[in-house]
Amino acid sequence: MFEVRFHGRGGQGAVMAAQALAEAAVIEGNYAVAFPFFGAERRGAPVLAFTRIDAKKIYSKTQVYSPDCVVVLDDSLLDTIDVVAGLKPGGSVVINSRDKPEDIDLGISVKTAAVDATSVALEILKAPITNTAILGAFAKATGIIKLESLEEAIKRRFGEKLGEKVAERNSLAARTAYGKTVIGKSKGIKKLEPKKQWLPTYQELPAGGSLVEGKTDAGLIGPGSFIENKVMGWATFRPVRDREKCTMCLLCWFYCPEGTIVRISDRGDLMTNYDYCKGCGVCANECPVDAIKMVRARV
Amino acid sequence: MITIKDLPDENLFTAGHTACPGCGVAMSIRNAIRVLGKDTSVYVPASCAVVFGTTFPYGAWKVPFFHTAFENTGACLTGMQAAFEKKGKKVTAVGFAGDGGTYDIGLQSMSGAAERNDDVIYICLDNEAYMNTGIQRSGGTPFGAWTTTTPVGTKVQGNRRFKKNLGEIVTAHEIPYYATLSIGHPLDFIRKVEKAKNIKGFRFLHMFTPCIPGWKMDPAKTVEVTKRAVESGMWTLYEVENGEKKITYKPGKMKSVRDYLMMQGRFRHMSDEDIKKLQMWVCKKWNLYYKEKGSPEICEIAPPEEHHAVTEEHREMHGP
Repeated sequence: MFEVRFHGRGGQGAVMAAQALAEAAVIEGNYAVAFPFFGAERRGAPVLAFTRIDAKKIYSKTQVYSPDCVVVLDDSLLDTIDVVAGLKPGGSVVINSRDKPEDIDLGISVKTAAVDATSVALEILKAPITNTAILGAFAKATGIIKLESLEEAIKRRFGEKLGEKVAERNSLAARTAYGKTVIGKSKGIKKLEPKKQWLPTYQELPAGGSLVEGKTDAGLIGPGSFIENKVMGWATFRPVRDREKCTMCLLCWFYCPEGTIVRISDRGDLMTNYDYCKGCGVCANECPVDAIKMVRARV
Repeated sequence: MITIKDLPDENLFTAGHTACPGCGVAMSIRNAIRVLGKDTSVYVPASCAVVFGTTFPYGAWKVPFFHTAFENTGACLTGMQAAFEKKGKKVTAVGFAGDGGTYDIGLQSMSGAAERNDDVIYICLDNEAYMNTGIQRSGGTPFGAWTTTTPVGTKVQGNRRFKKNLGEIVTAHEIPYYATLSIGHPLDFIRKVEKAKNIKGFRFLHMFTPCIPGWKMDPAKTVEVTKRAVESGMWTLYEVENGEKKITYKPGKMKSVRDYLMMQGRFRHMSDEDIKKLQMWVCKKWNLYYKEKGSPEICEIAPPEEHHAVTEEHREMHGP
């Protein structure tokens, strides 16, 4: 059995990628299952999806804990998630990254395929939806699926839901990424500390679950504690403000849904705190003097 | 009157919350709480706002926050206000409910609080479907819109019912203040929240909050889409103070709803016939509820080619 785990962010299409891969396996006469895992996350938050492929019927219904291949749709996930957890010996990793495989630090040295799927998606699909492009890289890296059957599966899966034109473009994205994929070996230096969690005993829990502002070993809890949740990894683009053009109308400060744009009243200035920017682009769209430009977040 | 410059710097709804990029609800909440200030206690029923604003043990709110079930926003606010009064605290109880929690599930509770004229602020964040659970139709979903429960098929395309007129339901309770707000009109937004803050009794603020995944649109267009909604009459900015209705922003020249619809994926399948039907509904609604006495009926604004084709429906509505 060949097991694949997809690490993506909500809205990048990890679920569709898992399904398209399963469909491609079925086209080649195999059995396959695909399913996602996510909590109450919003668009941009980390999600998981899984695919199992086998020549026999598949009875295993659990999540994939020891994958043969890990597909990472967004390299910003590497900073917070141990993507190679449970990877089988001899397994491989497919990453959407601008770096060469030799420059990517996964914590272990494994066969790694890298492709700049975001650029491919932006060029062909006009949106940072990297699922089909990364599947092209997957086909090249693992070789367990032919590019032709993958394209057929993408056309079927996307054509049914989004129309023929979109399906055609998505299969082109897969083909383009297939050609651009670089295969090598990753670095194995960093040690990723798993994020600590606040695990109180029942005596420590306040009555009714009502929390006051507090500090624990795992960081802040209670009112206002989301301030420690850095969400910059969500962004594909980020705003850059031209101070010369800015008239300090404060519309961007008013509209920003995140609080990325901070006003410093005593200096009469604005500051952009990229730690919280999800790259929606509302500020750039609404600026009356076009002083804000959106640029690629990770170069 | 407060302008954008007079708003305080402090974030009472902090950064780092987990709303989607470009979320209209996050925008509205942040700015509403900026105006309402520290002496506020917030209630949120089941909705996106409770998921992205508070995920135990974390929270984005810096004011006291309370959450129970879906259907009892009105009742909870009443209880909170009664407790504050008993303890002699000068705190405003504010509820942020979604459209599902107001139009459908929370209607009885909201109606009870409105009828008792309890001294609370009820804010409805109207994103026109149950977005938190994955985009299901609510009473607030407009005609023609795609949702997972009103899919686009070969025979029926999208929602077949028109948006419920919540404003008329709420104002029928003869409450002191009802207003509709849009994040795309900042000064109007701030003025209305400020006004509601200083009035006693049951105040209802109805906010129009675009939802990026649910409306299938570009996250950068959140504000633009609210402006277009107001310009086309799909959303009308008005306030009702002690039974007196006043339109606070009148579009210079009403635009066709088509502009507004084509920005969003949820409407992109709509046939010309359906768009015309929706345009008729918008015109009818405007003429019935928002038109000033003596001013011309606004159906004249429909694009010429559409207007010349006088349909049966048009005749019924406006005479030959």
